Amino acid sequence: MAYKEKLSEYRRPLVGAVSVVGLMFLWEFAFTYFIPLDPFFFTKPSLIAVAFKEQTLSGALWVDLAISSKAFLWGFSLAVIVGIPIGVFMGWRRRAEYVLDPFLTALYASPLVALAPLFIIFFGVGLTGKVALIFLLAVFPFVFNVFAGVKCTDRLLVNVVQSFGGKEKDIYFKVILPSILPYIVAGARIAIGRGIVGILVSEFYGASEGIGYAISRFGDTYRLPEMFAAIFLLMIVAVIFTEGLRKLEIILAPWKIGQEAR
Amino acid sequence: MATCIQAKDVSLTFRPKNREPVTALSALSLDVSKGEFVSIVGPSGCGKSTFLNILLGLIKPDTGVMQLNGSRITGPGQDRAMVFQEFGLLPWRTVLGNVELGLELKGVEVSVRRPRARELIEMAGLAGFESHYPHELSGGMKQRVGLARALATDPEVLLMDEPFAALDAQTRDLMQAELLQVWERTKKTVIFVTHSIEEAAYLSDRVVVMSARPGRTKTIIRINLPRPREYEMRLSAKFNEIKAEIWNALKEELMGKGAGNGI
Amino acid sequence: MNTLASFYREREQAILGGGFILLLILAWQSVPSLISLPKGISLFFTTPVEVVKALYQLVVRNEIQSHVYVSAVEFVVGLGLAILVGLPLGLVTGRSKILDAMLDPFVTAFNATPRLVFLPLLILWLGIGIWSKIMIVFVGAVFPLLINTYEGVKNVDRVLVSVVRSFGASEWQTMKVVVLPNSVPYVIVGLRLAIGRALLGVVVGEFFGASKGLGFMIATAATNYKVDVVFVGVAIFMGISLILTMSVKRFESKLTRWRPEVAKTF
Repeated sequence: MAYKEKLSEYRRPLVGAVSVVGLMFLWEFAFTYFIPLDPFFFTKPSLIAVAFKEQTLSGALWVDLAISSKAFLWGFSLAVIVGIPIGVFMGWRRRAEYVLDPFLTALYASPLVALAPLFIIFFGVGLTGKVALIFLLAVFPFVFNVFAGVKCTDRLLVNVVQSFGGKEKDIYFKVILPSILPYIVAGARIAIGRGIVGILVSEFYGASEGIGYAISRFGDTYRLPEMFAAIFLLMIVAVIFTEGLRKLEIILAPWKIGQEAR
Repeated sequence: MATCIQAKDVSLTFRPKNREPVTALSALSLDVSKGEFVSIVGPSGCGKSTFLNILLGLIKPDTGVMQLNGSRITGPGQDRAMVFQEFGLLPWRTVLGNVELGLELKGVEVSVRRPRARELIEMAGLAGFESHYPHELSGGMKQRVGLARALATDPEVLLMDEPFAALDAQTRDLMQAELLQVWERTKKTVIFVTHSIEEAAYLSDRVVVMSARPGRTKTIIRINLPRPREYEMRLSAKFNEIKAEIWNALKEELMGKGAGNGI
Repeated sequence: MNTLASFYREREQAILGGGFILLLILAWQSVPSLISLPKGISLFFTTPVEVVKALYQLVVRNEIQSHVYVSAVEFVVGLGLAILVGLPLGLVTGRSKILDAMLDPFVTAFNATPRLVFLPLLILWLGIGIWSKIMIVFVGAVFPLLINTYEGVKNVDRVLVSVVRSFGASEWQTMKVVVLPNSVPYVIVGLRLAIGRALLGVVVGEFFGASKGLGFMIATAATNYKVDVVFVGVAIFMGISLILTMSVKRFESKLTRWRPEVAKTF
């Protein structure tokens, strides 16, 4: 009986894995035996695997990834350092919310990437431009998620701390900060996607290195297997971070039953 | 008996933005003796919780004087602690962490506060649950943590804001009995706000019936039942008389004889 | 005097928020009059007044209309396709556990990756015409719609379903009476997110490999140091985004009045 329960728990990822593998086989099979493969248009898993091995073993792809990551980490860290305090400030002081909310909401809702060409032409194609763009894109999820988190802080808990003689700093450190931890992680999850957009836009546009540049360069030279390999690599990285953060969110807040639209 | 708490002509009006001001309390006066168990009942919105919060020191009254042992209450202090209806436990702290909170905020060091917290956890019947988180506990257990936390700082006065309202009937009866045991043992002065006439009559030395909003003390009824109270007393004729007396005083307020909006 | 105070109290939110924005615009406008900018910066600087002037010029000379039209087509067609594909798929995966399990890894992977990464591939396949842009818009917008519809269908209260079933409802009736109304708020949220992604798709799609469209206009203006034109484009996108998002939000709050307030996470 327990075996049946175990099976249903693993059923979902198992079916998922089977369908992924199944698709790979179908893809390979179809384009090897049935559909003629135009190398300038498409590719198949075996070729992608070869290109992947080659690119990773020679180190080329890792170098590109490292370059992009450096800019990403700088921009992301700045977004964390700037975004969280602003979010706390807005959430805790009502006047701050009134002043800043319309302005920041307008910015968050707009496609700020539209400013990307300006950034790139102004800062050049080096690290500064990338970091600035990534920061601009990644800071808002932190601001708004932390803002929401602070506003959601259980006022009862603030009263409890105050009733035992807690001061303002106690409220911040013993109630607000722990409460907003899951919100920070949720913000990070969204900010990662936006940050990667920043990387890609800067690198598609005029860079000479980085993984975005690699993808676009492979495209220009019709090296499809390499291109797919690079795209897959980026996908894997993105999934690891995003899902990892999702798990972290759950660990940090087992008491939260929240519903959330992704 | 020595007077512990003295409230004299306490008034408070709330002025929310964009809305009519609300007078919660109007010239409320009440004296509570040391070691007394006093319950406060009254219609919804009569200001009972507001009164507790003023006693706690979180709100300042507009007029009037609130004193504890002769000195004016100006803010929260170590001599008073509150037990909240919705428990108010920090969800990210264990039972131990929660019980320690009051002591921690007073700056008591770990080596002193930890054993004290453990002591109280045991007294509350939660031995073995020190490392559990609030979401793993039942309602009754959560409120025991709340009580342990309040007692940890050894306050003179225990303020309880409908502490058992969120519990099911059986747990509630249990907690009432336990509360009385704790009270007999620790001799604290208790101010207990409740909606339940039965609870008020069963637990207290005196029951204060508050008027409808704006709140003031309408009637004070002395409960002449022997201590320690036993469950069977609830089934006696005398108890029913007491309940009827309280209900009669309360009824008028509920029917809107006093000012404030009706039901 | 008292009426002034109460007027302020009521409108405080709007006054502070709007005032701040106004202040920023005025500050921006007055910068060149207050400090003399070094040559390197002044090349990249513009003022709100200049932006308005540039917009006027572009409209009068009929230069901007074709760009707006192209971008609009890409947006509408791409979003429309996303709705047509995302909603049914979301419904189906919400109800069918097997389909959900099968598609889950793909949806997770594609949702975690910015769709922008596929742009070079799409350009390779579809050229620099309108279709590669429509596809990027589609790929960006379809996932929020799919995922949120799925959540809406999946999160239907089992108790409610049992209640309706106990009155003898068929699967179709259950859908109509319980599942679909329950999912409407989720779908609306998905729509709001999808609109943002769709706009993003238009913008970035037109940066690379395009010959028309507002994004293309911005990119070319940037290379020619016509910063005022750049901001015209940015402002238009901002404006559209705000209008659309606010309309959807208003619609959303009307439709979700029965739901308890859920924390706003973007």
